[in-house]
Amino acid sequence: MLGIPDPQIWIAYLLCIALAIACIIYGLLNWNRGGA
Amino acid sequence: MAASLFWIVLVTAVYLVMILCLGYLGYKKTKAAEDYLVAGRNAHPVVIALSYGATFISTSAIVGFGGQAANLGMGMIWLTVFNIGVGVLLAFVIFGKKTREIGSRLKAITFPDLMGKVYSSQFMQVVSGLVIIVGMPLYTAAVLIGGAQFIKETLGISYAASLIGFAVIVAIYVVFGGLIAVMYTDAVQGAIMLLGMTFLLIFTYVILGGVTAAHTALTNMADMVPAKLAEQGMNGWTVMPDLGSPIWFTLVTTLVLGVGIGVLAQPQLVVRFMTAKDGRSLNRAVLVGGPFILMMTGVAFTVGALTNVYFNQTKGTIAIAAAGGNVDSIIPLFINLATPDWFTVLFMVTLLAAAMSTLSSLFHAMGTALICDVWGRGRECALSLKANQIGVLVMIIASVIVAFLMPGSIIAIATAMFMGLCASAFLPVFAVAVYCRKPDPLAAKVSLVVGAAVWFVWALFVNSRYAAVFGLSNAALGTTSVLPYPWSAIDPLIIALPLSGLAILLLQARAGRQRGESSPV
Repeated sequence: MLGIPDPQIWIAYLLCIALAIACIIYGLLNWNRGGA
Repeated sequence: MAASLFWIVLVTAVYLVMILCLGYLGYKKTKAAEDYLVAGRNAHPVVIALSYGATFISTSAIVGFGGQAANLGMGMIWLTVFNIGVGVLLAFVIFGKKTREIGSRLKAITFPDLMGKVYSSQFMQVVSGLVIIVGMPLYTAAVLIGGAQFIKETLGISYAASLIGFAVIVAIYVVFGGLIAVMYTDAVQGAIMLLGMTFLLIFTYVILGGVTAAHTALTNMADMVPAKLAEQGMNGWTVMPDLGSPIWFTLVTTLVLGVGIGVLAQPQLVVRFMTAKDGRSLNRAVLVGGPFILMMTGVAFTVGALTNVYFNQTKGTIAIAAAGGNVDSIIPLFINLATPDWFTVLFMVTLLAAAMSTLSSLFHAMGTALICDVWGRGRECALSLKANQIGVLVMIIASVIVAFLMPGSIIAIATAMFMGLCASAFLPVFAVAVYCRKPDPLAAKVSLVVGAAVWFVWALFVNSRYAAVFGLSNAALGTTSVLPYPWSAIDPLIIALPLSGLAILLLQARAGRQRGESSPV
């Protein structure tokens, strides 16, 4: 994919992007939770 | 020398003045000892996230691990998976909120102080402090070397002058203010780092003709892998090494797992959780933290591997050969040769920001460990700003000495050493401290000592890469490793962490049974 032949590498890239998106979603969903 | 000296000096001076002014503004807000040590427990979520990110990412990640990606290939991207999944999501969501609650309740101000108070044990506080004083200079020296390598390459001055000059700039900045000043400047430095790394990614792909073209060119270089690396299992820069080969063990157990797991129990990052006002701030910090780390290590590892294409197209050789065999010189050399002068200057400031934001927290952690936790043993030493500043200065000098003693290609290895030691010694006692209703002091003491002792024995006598750096095994026993392969390729963390984890679980369960409870935690 995109010139990278080893699925072990491009799956890692997809995981990185998915985890970064998960961080954004987690932050938005819990924006007002966990107050003092 | 790539960029003109005038511009480098001017831009760096403007940057340093700006940071010192910000530091001074923060310093003026540092009214109480708690401000100095945990920033008054009232920091803004974006400041927490950028500050945590800028503290987490240093010249070690960009120069040291970027260089390792140039050497070993894109498999390093698995470390970014751990950096985000473990270093941000797991760290903030599972550990961060509980750490903040307990730190606030017990009024803990440093990591050893937290351990001492949770376990009601001065032993835990002093030994945690000692592990920091002994282990952390490996990491601070690595970060200093990362900055010095870039300055040497850019200004064309000697390595010794670069290292000492860099250390002096950092020392002035760190001794100046406490954590509240550091948090504000960190956030600005984090923003500068984001800008620098975004430009670096765009530049690299533009220079190499686009995303797919760059990756394809790197894939086609597989036959240029040095014979020594190919023998040890490396197949190219866009494929993983052979499963179970020496290169695979180094990549997976030392670089990916050592740093990926080690980040959970680093004293200077745990303190960051204790600066949050409430759990909500930490939830919001996750939103900024994940994408920030992706843009830092994800870009450094990708660009690192792609430097091979640039050096092949311009010099007909691979990156490690162009850099004279020193992994730590690859990224500085690439930036100086491949990017425009103005970017070299911007990247110089990016690296200064990355190094200073990390070193300030590391020296803060080492200084307080030396003065508050070991020398003061929890007495009200924290109130003496001067004593803490002297502690910081002592540790800066120790770190510079360690940096001069280290060999080449050491940044990533020394960083992995420190993080592996932290995980082995601190992770089980930290996890039990935040998640166990009645943490048992004896279980914690045994786990801490087992984790640290096994890590040191394995690093000094078994792991051949580490043992070669220390030289003790060779001097005493005439061999770099007392055990054969594959043991000699396995990182100490893989052995020490399960043992320290097992020790605390068994003894915690025993303590629970003695109290007549069934559950160990």
